[in-house]
Amino acid sequence: MIKETIKILNENGLHALPASRFVKTAEKYNSDVILIKDGVEVSGKSIMGILTLACEKGSKVILVCNGKDEKEASKALRKILEGQDK
Amino acid sequence: MTKERILKGIPVSKGTAQGIVFIYETKKIEIFQTPILTVYLKDEIERFEKSVEKTKQELINIQKRINQEIGVDFAQFLDAQILMLSDTEIIEKVKKRIASEKKNAEYIYHQVINDYAEKLNASKDQYLKERVADIWDVGMRVLRNLLGLTHSSIVDVPANSVVVAHDISPSEATLINPKNVVGIATEAGGRTSHTAITARALEIPAVLGIEGLMNRIENGENVIIDGDRGILIKNPSSGRIHAYKIAKKKDKKLVKELSPYGALPPKTRDGRYIDVSANIEFFSEYTHAKKYGAEGIGLFRTEFLYLTRRGNPSEEEQYRVYNALAERMKPHPVIIRTYDLGGDKIFADYHEANPFLGWRAIRVSLDELDFFKMQLRAILRASVNKNVKIMFPMISTYEEIKRVNLIFEKVKKELKSKRIDFDEEIQFGIMVETPSAALMSAHLAQQVDFFSIGSNDLTQYTLGVDRGNEKISQLFDHFHPAVLHLIKKIVDAGHQSHIWVGLCGELAADPIAIPLLIGLNIDELSMNPASIPQAKMVLRAITIPESQQIAQQALSFRTALEVKRYLRRIIHRKFPDIEKVIK
Repeated sequence: MIKETIKILNENGLHALPASRFVKTAEKYNSDVILIKDGVEVSGKSIMGILTLACEKGSKVILVCNGKDEKEASKALRKILEGQDK
Repeated sequence: MTKERILKGIPVSKGTAQGIVFIYETKKIEIFQTPILTVYLKDEIERFEKSVEKTKQELINIQKRINQEIGVDFAQFLDAQILMLSDTEIIEKVKKRIASEKKNAEYIYHQVINDYAEKLNASKDQYLKERVADIWDVGMRVLRNLLGLTHSSIVDVPANSVVVAHDISPSEATLINPKNVVGIATEAGGRTSHTAITARALEIPAVLGIEGLMNRIENGENVIIDGDRGILIKNPSSGRIHAYKIAKKKDKKLVKELSPYGALPPKTRDGRYIDVSANIEFFSEYTHAKKYGAEGIGLFRTEFLYLTRRGNPSEEEQYRVYNALAERMKPHPVIIRTYDLGGDKIFADYHEANPFLGWRAIRVSLDELDFFKMQLRAILRASVNKNVKIMFPMISTYEEIKRVNLIFEKVKKELKSKRIDFDEEIQFGIMVETPSAALMSAHLAQQVDFFSIGSNDLTQYTLGVDRGNEKISQLFDHFHPAVLHLIKKIVDAGHQSHIWVGLCGELAADPIAIPLLIGLNIDELSMNPASIPQAKMVLRAITIPESQQIAQQALSFRTALEVKRYLRRIIHRKFPDIEKVIK
């Protein structure tokens, strides 16, 4: 299991577009993906879950990846949260 | 016989048509609660899964169509809708609750969607609040499929229809079939709504923003839609129908006669070359610009990127559109204008008493720097095509140009440090559309590479007239000598500093104005694409000395009426060809 705290650096926060990229990417991996913000835990493969977290730019989330490909998943998802994927 | 009635709205797409009203509305959905017997629960869940799958196919098809129409991958906003639809959290919750509460899928699904919508609505974040519309868009689609209702589809309207609706959503607007739809009228919407953009792209006459429309019209009624004057005529009299038919015939003949001029160079009779370019709002309109013979894009309004997406598009999305436009228009120039958005378009909770004098255009950009810089980066990246120019709207002070310039240079430096290519020679220009900018144009000219006169706003601000206000709109006249004197001042100031000066407003397309503008030494005219052949015809009929004389005379009058009378008289006497196209 990889667990890390990440500061959202994406320009628009984790809004619909980056959120869709996040979900699409998360779905590519076998690992379970969980996002935690202010104690609320949601599945990283659910766009509704992520949207309801309301992550603005600058807010901090905990990204948890658990599974065979957790390393790759964690790396790719981190990039999106930090706005470095494009 | 019912009486003829005229409903007024905003003209957003030119042309006229007579047709039969087709009321397009999303049918209200009633959700019933029914118990499901345990033996049927499995079937109920399966029925739900099938509806989701069907809806997903529908959304994917819509996305394909939008991308095809725009020509680049732009409909990413539907990605979010597709993901919301197939969201495992929602689907699992619905399935579980159907099984445990033993109730029908419609009822459960509606409740689950409602819960999420409420949660987002309670958020402090404006952007998230706006996603509620997306969730309901998706939710309603699924519910209609569950109930076996058709989405009152705009694809299937009968021939010769004038589509009447409260509003048409962006995804639906894209499905409008120009073979059957002869006109569009809506209660909501304005010039920059997606419906307006689509109507213009398909060249369908449209009038939007008609107050109380839905209560004043019925299915099957005979109407005339007039996208030139912005009216919808109910139960037109036979005399009226006849008049419109004749006018339309005449128009068609004229368009046919003028169309060969599109391919000719825009030169005056004595050989002076004047740039004639197109104003466009929507990427796909570049095909019209080419078809009608534009020598470039004189004004690419970028607001639609923001408005279609219901939010700020990413740098990448913007770059793709700007770059595609620059590529397709090569070697002709493309002038991209940064957002001319009112504050209310960006922040739903922002309201002001006087938006035209308020927080809009460059004023918003200079306050929202991240947002502004993102657009500058996207435009700069597209400038590698070497034909991109950048223009800033609504400049009213010298300090604004200095600030914009500073930010622009900073962004360039950032790109350079990241080794991202752009055109170092990119031209930097401003719209001159406030009296203060016009009066100070000699100083402003030293800071920029070109001026483009926005004659509509310049007229509005100079005369202090809101053209949207019916009570005083007759005071709005861009032939007012005060406006003409300012135009002269701007052009002279520009030329003294050796920069070129264009004009992009309705005045540029007016055949009686063109000789006057050329006489004032305007270098470029930018207009809606369909007016280009006519403008070239006018140009080719006049000479520079003749137009200078006309301009000099026009500047001596006291009223707009005197100016217009004089222009008509001189055209009648000297230019019979031009007179033929004056309405």
